[in-house]
Amino acid sequence: WDDDADINPEDEVDDTDGVDPEAERAAWKLRELKRVRRDRLAIEEKEKEREEIERRRNMTAEEREAEDKIYIDAQKEDREGKGQMG
Amino acid sequence: MAHQADAKKSLDERGYTGALIRGDNPLKLFEKAVRDRIVDSYYWKEQCFGLNAATLLDRAVELTFIGGTYGVAQKPTPFLCLAFKLLQLTPDKEIILFYLEQEEYKYLRALAAFYIRLAWEKDADVYTTLEPYLSDSRKLKRRIREGWALTHVDEFIDDLLLKNRVCATTLPKLNPRLFLEDEDRLEPRVSALGEELEELDHDDERDSASDGEVEELPNGH
Repeated sequence: WDDDADINPEDEVDDTDGVDPEAERAAWKLRELKRVRRDRLAIEEKEKEREEIERRRNMTAEEREAEDKIYIDAQKEDREGKGQMG
Repeated sequence: MAHQADAKKSLDERGYTGALIRGDNPLKLFEKAVRDRIVDSYYWKEQCFGLNAATLLDRAVELTFIGGTYGVAQKPTPFLCLAFKLLQLTPDKEIILFYLEQEEYKYLRALAAFYIRLAWEKDADVYTTLEPYLSDSRKLKRRIREGWALTHVDEFIDDLLLKNRVCATTLPKLNPRLFLEDEDRLEPRVSALGEELEELDHDDERDSASDGEVEELPNGH
């Protein structure tokens, strides 16, 4: 009946700053690094996508088709393999 | 001027004449269910009645946690109520920036940041105004549905810029930073880590360079 029993009491979370300045600074640095890394990955990702589009554009229609065929065949083989396992 | 019973008047669909944000009544930035819970709440009725941009400060400096709604009844937090009040008041940009710049009151800063993300219509301004506070590492107490959690000013800012939902509210659409950079409407962000970041990068390069050598050896390179 006591719904509040397993709820964290308010004072379990302490928002006092400057208790351990070095640790707090280190924790922030880690968070900021993760953000920087995340943003860089996003840029790389976008760059890759752009290159891929560029690459495909520079191919002739036949080349594109040939590449697609290899991809589709590989996919099919994959699926058949799975079927046999089952 | 007769003070209409709270948000009733500004929420009245008929003949709304107040300030507009994105062409609509700013109060509608909160979902109907949340609006109703705010207007029904004790904090709203007792502490938010008749506030203006100056007296709202008295309430905002008393904030001790952020959050949206909590508990089985989904009660709104004072933080959410004050944000709602700000949407009703739509104070001038200078006033909001003044709130944001107050070093002493981290919850006031969080409130101003939340409002800016909700109300400002120029995406580039939202980024350039909020991002400097990604270096504010102070702790924030956050009321969650059941219980409490710890977050930080920088994390909260990051959430505002990245997430779709923050504090029981669906945030208005914000173009991704990369998109604005591509359009030349925004310069790349400079991390407050500054030179430290460069040093770390150099370490990384050295690490990956030595990794590469080890991998290439078996191939006879």
